[in-house]
Amino acid sequence: MQVRSRIPRLAGAAVERARLTVVPRRRRAAGRAPFLALVTMVLLGGVVGLLLFNTSMQQASFATTGLEQQATRLAARQQSLEMELDRLRNPQRIAAAAKRLGMVQACSPAFLRLGTGEVSGVPCAGGGPDSPSLRINPLPPSKPAILNPPPNVVTVDPPASAGENSQADTGRGNPDRDARDGRKKNNR
Amino acid sequence: MPATTPRGTRRGSPQLRLRIGFVVIAMVLSVFGARLVQLQGIDPNSYAEMAAAEGLVEVDLPATRGQIMDRNGEPLADSIDGMMVVADPRLTDDDAADLAAFLYRKLGVDYVSTLAKLRAHQTEQGVEARFEYIARRVPATIATEVVEEADSKGYQGLDTRRDPLRDYPAGDVAANLVGFMGTDEPLAGLERTFDKELSGVDGSTRYEVGSGNRLPLGESTITEPVDGKDLRTTLDTKLQWYAQRVIRETVENARAESGFAIVMDSRTGELLAVADDPTYDPNEPTASAKADLGSRALQDVYEPGSVQKVLTASSLLDLGLVTPRTKIVVPSDLPRDGRVIHDWFTHGTIRLTLTGAIAQSSNIGTVLAADRFKDGQLFRYLRQFGLGKPTRIGVRGETKGLLPRLSEWTSQLEDRIDFGQSLSVNGVQMAAAVNTIANGGVRVSPSLIKGSATSDDGRPVGTDHATHTRVVSEQAAKQTALMMERVVDPDVGVAPGAAVPGYRVAGKTGTAQRVGEECGCYDGTFTVSFAGFAPADDPRFTIYVVVQNPRNGGGGGSVAGPAFAKIMSYALRRYGVPPTGTQPSRLPVEW
Repeated sequence: MQVRSRIPRLAGAAVERARLTVVPRRRRAAGRAPFLALVTMVLLGGVVGLLLFNTSMQQASFATTGLEQQATRLAARQQSLEMELDRLRNPQRIAAAAKRLGMVQACSPAFLRLGTGEVSGVPCAGGGPDSPSLRINPLPPSKPAILNPPPNVVTVDPPASAGENSQADTGRGNPDRDARDGRKKNNR
Repeated sequence: MPATTPRGTRRGSPQLRLRIGFVVIAMVLSVFGARLVQLQGIDPNSYAEMAAAEGLVEVDLPATRGQIMDRNGEPLADSIDGMMVVADPRLTDDDAADLAAFLYRKLGVDYVSTLAKLRAHQTEQGVEARFEYIARRVPATIATEVVEEADSKGYQGLDTRRDPLRDYPAGDVAANLVGFMGTDEPLAGLERTFDKELSGVDGSTRYEVGSGNRLPLGESTITEPVDGKDLRTTLDTKLQWYAQRVIRETVENARAESGFAIVMDSRTGELLAVADDPTYDPNEPTASAKADLGSRALQDVYEPGSVQKVLTASSLLDLGLVTPRTKIVVPSDLPRDGRVIHDWFTHGTIRLTLTGAIAQSSNIGTVLAADRFKDGQLFRYLRQFGLGKPTRIGVRGETKGLLPRLSEWTSQLEDRIDFGQSLSVNGVQMAAAVNTIANGGVRVSPSLIKGSATSDDGRPVGTDHATHTRVVSEQAAKQTALMMERVVDPDVGVAPGAAVPGYRVAGKTGTAQRVGEECGCYDGTFTVSFAGFAPADDPRFTIYVVVQNPRNGGGGGSVAGPAFAKIMSYALRRYGVPPTGTQPSRLPVEW
């Protein structure tokens, strides 16, 4: 009571005005549609975005797989080519190729000093009698005697009148011509 | 009044309802809890595996096996991506004949056996065959092309799998040292000795796939493979090839059993070539006899014969007991403790200097000179020259040779050891011993591996670990070289065929009786050899040629000497070593 008594007494009307009363609820003018649209938009946008993002990731994954396969293929190709190159560098192959080209081995090394023109070592011509020869392929394995019988030579005397009728135009029948052909082949 | 009955009585008291509700919830939760423990606590892995099986793939990432290279980096053994072509006979049965012809053309496989594999058949267990190897270790590009082409032609049932391929591009060059690979593991040579270093560590990767493509954001782990280390040898492919061809020609011409040639860099002890014959193709190791797959230069023991006289003479010179001009009266034969020592050539009593005894390869002369040794002196020298100890250059199954223990030495044994009998060596051992003379009396331990590598038994080998030991004085080595020069002299020596025109060559022949395997006695066959170096006054290469059992009656000078000259001439030319241009040795051989 002490407290209340301190509050200044206001006019009755003012007190009446200041008393809280329930106001009628204001109805919102805005409709539900825009909000719904917004939510739908966000949702749709999100879903579509996610879908697109996922698709692009998948696309990238396809590309990755494709490129990885290509890289593997190319690496394998490189290795095959390197292997081919290494096989081409095989000294045995090079020696055989050189021999086919008619190359010969050098004989003992000799040096020419350009300043003085002095020659050290014993120079000799390649392919000459002093030039070393080297067999680059193994000898064929020797066959056992049963597989390698001595050639069976039968000497037949030609009949006296044979060869009279066989003319040079048949070619084959002419032993001289055969010999000539043989020589020609050897010369080549 | 019924209207005033409280509503609570019909639904029961709220406390009771709450309690019942909680109990039900607790029961349901405890069921979930129990299931959780069952899934996660008791056996989580099996479920994880079941989950993983759905679209999760695990791929091995094989480490690439290291290369084996020569000193210039040219590959002697190389790994490339390989594949096997496999077939499912059930699917290939329809076009078996056409497909077999196609595979024969493309892969060079045998038509008949391939056709049998491609036809539907039963395995030995009586079930339908669904898997057959068509070709193994095909380069990946070729395998893929063939299978793709088969697919496009409408043939079904072919597939490829990974199958690593080891290629030896140089063929038989250095094959006896490099070794070869079996189906899965190395079977011989450096491939096997250094397998741990070469093979590396395989890796693996796991990821999820959907229709063959990796799923983004899916599980993905990777353990990167660690590739194997390359192994660099000290060999020179070209020189090795040349030496191999020369030794093969020599062996064939002499109708010999086998042979080897060793080329060593005199200053560094690096082996530039270790050529064995017969050899083999490591790409087809099964095509050769098993005895030819190793390295005879390191794995065979034999008696060195007269080449040993070089070591005896240099030891005598080092002790100051003789000089190259020491005069020796050489009788026609020398009875010693009930056994008679002969020379290889018949002569009356002749007067040779020590140089003459070496140049003429006189056993009697050498034994008489070596009488000046005190007990045990020669033994200690030979140990220092490296005899009786393996060289440990990284070749498997190396023999350590046979130097009798000092306690077993008798004067008779010492006489025989003086000229190279009753002790056995391996080729590289002896080459290193002769190289000691070439290198001014300092023995360099031989090496086959450039740098350093650790063999599978944990031993580091290579040029980084080469050791230098002085065995004889520089003066003794020089005098020995001068004496050895007389061996190739056409007038006084026994091996004029070993001379390289224009160069000073020092060398020594050897013709030793061989010990037969069955009887353990000299069986009448011979080991002929030639060891030498050039240029004699500034040696660059030491070459040792050994031919076992020549059947053409040749000796060290006539069989091994020319092979030595060929290889030496090639090496000098290849490395551009000019002649020294100094006066050759004129040491007297007689007095």
